[in-house]
Parts: sequence; C-alpha cells; structure tokens
Amino acid sequence: MVSTIKELEKAALEIRKNLLKLCSIQSIHIGGDLSVADVMTVLWQYQMKYDPSDIHAEERDRFVLSKGHASAVTSFNQAMIGCFDADDVIKEYATDGGRFSMHSCNLVNPYVEVSTGSLGHGFPIACGIAAGLKLKGNFQSRVYVVMGDGEQSEGSIWEAAMNAVHYKLGNLIAIVDLNGLEADGPISELTGLGDIAQKYRAFGWSVQECDGNNIAELKAQFDRLPAPTSETPTVLICHTVKGKGVSFMENQTKWHAGKLTQEQYESAVSELTREFQNKWGID
Amino acid sequence: MCGEKQYYLRNVIGEYMTQLGEKQKKIVIVNADLAGTCRNRDFVERFPERAFNVGIAEQNMVSFAAGLAHEGFIPFVFSMAPFISMRACEQCRTDVAYANMNVRMIAPYAGCSGGISGATHWGIEDCAIMSSMPNMTVLEPCDPIQAIKMMEKTLDYDGPIYLRSGVEPVNAIYDETYHYEIGKASIVSDGNDGAFICSGITVQYAVQAAIQIARRYGKTIRVVDMHTIKPIDRQAIIDAARTAHIVVAQDHSKIGGLGQQVAEVLVSESLQVKFANLGIDKFVAMAHAPYLYHLFGYDAEGLEKEMVKLLQADTTVHWDVGR
Repeated sequence: MVSTIKELEKAALEIRKNLLKLCSIQSIHIGGDLSVADVMTVLWQYQMKYDPSDIHAEERDRFVLSKGHASAVTSFNQAMIGCFDADDVIKEYATDGGRFSMHSCNLVNPYVEVSTGSLGHGFPIACGIAAGLKLKGNFQSRVYVVMGDGEQSEGSIWEAAMNAVHYKLGNLIAIVDLNGLEADGPISELTGLGDIAQKYRAFGWSVQECDGNNIAELKAQFDRLPAPTSETPTVLICHTVKGKGVSFMENQTKWHAGKLTQEQYESAVSELTREFQNKWGID
Repeated sequence: MCGEKQYYLRNVIGEYMTQLGEKQKKIVIVNADLAGTCRNRDFVERFPERAFNVGIAEQNMVSFAAGLAHEGFIPFVFSMAPFISMRACEQCRTDVAYANMNVRMIAPYAGCSGGISGATHWGIEDCAIMSSMPNMTVLEPCDPIQAIKMMEKTLDYDGPIYLRSGVEPVNAIYDETYHYEIGKASIVSDGNDGAFICSGITVQYAVQAAIQIARRYGKTIRVVDMHTIKPIDRQAIIDAARTAHIVVAQDHSKIGGLGQQVAEVLVSESLQVKFANLGIDKFVAMAHAPYLYHLFGYDAEGLEKEMVKLLQADTTVHWDVGR
C-alpha cells in the first residue's frame, strides 16, 4: 500500500504518464481519465481492500466504474497493485483480442468487477451489491462506485440514490467526478446539475466534498469515511478539472477524448514531471 | 387434459415463490411496486429480509437485481412484461445478459392479455427484445403444472431467464406426471396432417382447434407446446415439418416472436411446408383479451381456420369433408 502524500502523488504522476503514453498511441477518454486520476490512485493504491491474487475473496472491497469510459485510468491502477503490467495495458488497450476494453469489460479482464460503459448503470448495480453484502452478513466490505458528473443526468442515478438511502446502504461509497464538462460541452450549458451536494443531502446521503485533484485532501476524506456498518450511504463529491495536469488539455471540451501527437505527448509529460519536481524536488 | 377448471398463471407463479424460497435460500425478490399484481406478497411476508421493493423504478429493479446476483443470490424480479422488456430493456441486456447473471425476470401481462388496460400494458414485443439478447433464455408456460415445473427448473439453471405469462385464465393441459425440461418442446397431442406450434395461451386454443379439425375433417393435427422460445427446440420443429403444414401462433407481435423463430429453423433446414404465422400486427384500442385474440386471429376459431386454409391449399391432401 502506498500511504504518504509524496508516494501517492508520485503514484498519480506515474498513472498520468502511462495515460499520456497510451494517448500518444491511440485516442482514449483522456479528459475524464485525467480528472479522476487522483481519486483513482488514492482509492486503488491506498484505500481499497483488494488482493489481486485472490480476486473473489469475500472480504474484498467491490469497485464499480459507473463512468465506464474511465477504463484506462482504472486499468493502470490495477496494474500498479499487481494485476498485470502497465505495459500490457499500453499494448492491449482497445486492440483485437486485448484484455483492456475502451469501456471496462470483465469478459476479458477478470479484475473488472462489473462490466460498464452505458452511463447510469453502475450505480444501481453497486446498490444491489451493497444490499447483497449486508444480506450475506458481510459487514466488512465496502462498495465503491465512481460516477461522472454528466452521468448525473441519467434518471436511473436518482432511482438508485433514493434506493440506497431506503435500504440503509452505509457500506456504499459513491464518488462523483465533478469536472464540469461532458462530451458536448459544459454541463451548465447543457442541463445544469444545480447544487449536486444539496441534491444528495436532500435524498438523505451523507455528503463529503473535496478538491478531487488534491491527494492530501482525498486521503483525508477516505480516512474519515464511516464504517461499513453505518446505515447512511456516503457520497464523495470530488471537484476536479477535466484534463488535469496538462495545461493545454485542462477544461477543454475537445479533450474529452483524443490522441496526442508526439510533440504534445512530450510537452505534457515534461510539464507533469516539472510540476512534481517543483513540489517534491528531484528524487 | 383440458379440464374445465381455469387457472391464473400469475397466481400460480407468484404464490409458488414461497415454496421456492424455502427450498433455496439464495432466492431473493426485487419488486417495483407490483408485488400485489405479480402475486408474490406471500414471499415478501414470509421472507421480508429477502424481499426488496425499489418502488416504481423498473430500471433500478433490474440493475439492483444484477448487483444481488453478483453477490451469489438468485434474484427474481417481477413486473409487467412491457415494463421489464422495454422500460428496463438496456438493464436486462447490459447488466444481466452481458454479465450473464442468474437473474430471473418474471413478466406477467405477456401479449395483449392485459386487454382492457390498453397497449401500454401489453407485452407484445418482449420475446423479440429478450430473445435477441445473447445469454438470455426466454420461457412461456401454458398451464399451472408446467409453470411450477418451469419455476423449479430455474433453480439450477445457469444464466439469465425471462419468463413471460399472460394474465388470462388458462385450462390445465398437463398432469402431475408431466416431465418438464427447458429447451425441450412438449407434444401435447400427436398428429400427422399438420402441426400447431404454440406457446402460452395459444396452446389451449391449438388443442381445441385440433379437436375440431379431427371432428370436422378427420385430419390429425399435432400440438407442439414450444414453452422455450429461446433456445428453441429445433428437432421438434423438424419433426413437425413432416406434417407439411405448420401454423405458429403466439400472443406476441408477428415480428420477432415464435413464428419467425420457427420459420428461421424451417428455412435453415431447407424444410418446405405450408406455413402461417399468427400474431399481432397493429395497435388497437383496449378490449378484453378474448376479443383481441379473436380479432388478431389466434383464438381456437382462428387457429382452426388457418390450418384448414393451409390443408385446403395443398392439393396433395385428400379431403374427406362433411363428417
């Protein structure tokens, strides 16, 4: 487990470098991968109980990627905890016969708990999993579900939001990657979400909010999650920047998905490395 | 066979859940505000901790069930056929079928059996929709004994199941000795001059039509109960084709239902038969189901008429009319 802030920031840097490398080979959903990269790093490499050598262990935490298009950032994090090599992801992502689908798919990647892609599905499935755990008497595992903010427009999200409270799914941790942009542009210009925290609060959720691109804040938020035996589900609203870490990608709708030129790739990697070194010095 | 007593399949199925629940502790129910309509309240009262009700949220009902199945439970979800197959279509396909989860979708109001509720409550596209999903098994019982044996078989069956049934009362077709297998059609009565291939309510109409045809024309008509719409029993169709006259009838749209699936087998096996596909081909205003079955031509009278038409169109058949 990676646990110091510096180690986690280094880990997040590695995730971003891998994402950019993949993105220099083919078009990926880079904007949303980068916005949620810090959340996923802290979740997979610090927070979650998950042993890659025993993926069906009853006591494991369950992870559901409701924003299924963030499969690359998930796969790279799985690589970092030993599921496979990061180079495997780079070689096999979205290739014929490859293990890594553009949307998380457990037909080819057994570390994917639930196949996702169509938005508004993962969250209600996660509710079912959380209810199943309680019914089995498993009060030690949590279910983590990562959603996009554009995804909040799906009606099924709010069906599940009501349901999770009704069934007292305190073992369920929903995470919203609030980066403000969806495929067609700013959410506020499509159908605005309004005060999303207030909405979840009104549904009866315990709401935590933080800068989702700040590793220290994320770690602190995960550290103060209620026990899985809690009776109130928690939503962690992460304020993030789409394309985070690469200045020419940040807050740019066009970088929802795309491919980097070699020149863009090199400039992006050196910017990220420079940022890290400015903060932590050269190793 | 064909006793006078009539049975409501949704009652038989819904009420049987309690016994299934006793036998198999992994069974849970997820309702979407239609526990009463789907007659599973006994289970809910008997096993309250194993019964969920998500409210009027069919999409959530199916996804939630997929999550429970992911944790090793065998969830039975209940709603009307149109709401499961259409409102929650993508959840059935992506969360259940794609993931190959052991979810059982129990769908009364199949076909236009919802009659006076109107077309909003008719499940006339459900077989087409559900059959087209890889991994999905599609079943339709025609009588109470079969319905119970079918429900029993779902316990050890691997993969998702969609089970549709009408809400019109049906006759008993089978007795306790009936042996049921998913994927193996049941021959209700044998015959060599023609074959009805049916599922659900049309099976009893086929039985009645076959009796009439034997009486009036001296022709023996086989009645094939194709209770498993998918995977379909190809051999039963190949055998039926020997009669050279096949009428398929299902309380469903003509397109994508049993008729076209039978036709696909006939064509791919290069079997030449006189063929008719009876089903629904338009929206009409609400009416009671028997009226609609007559209107769409797949009640006993409609089946008889269609089979006689096929037999008469065939010059190789010797007619001995007027008995």
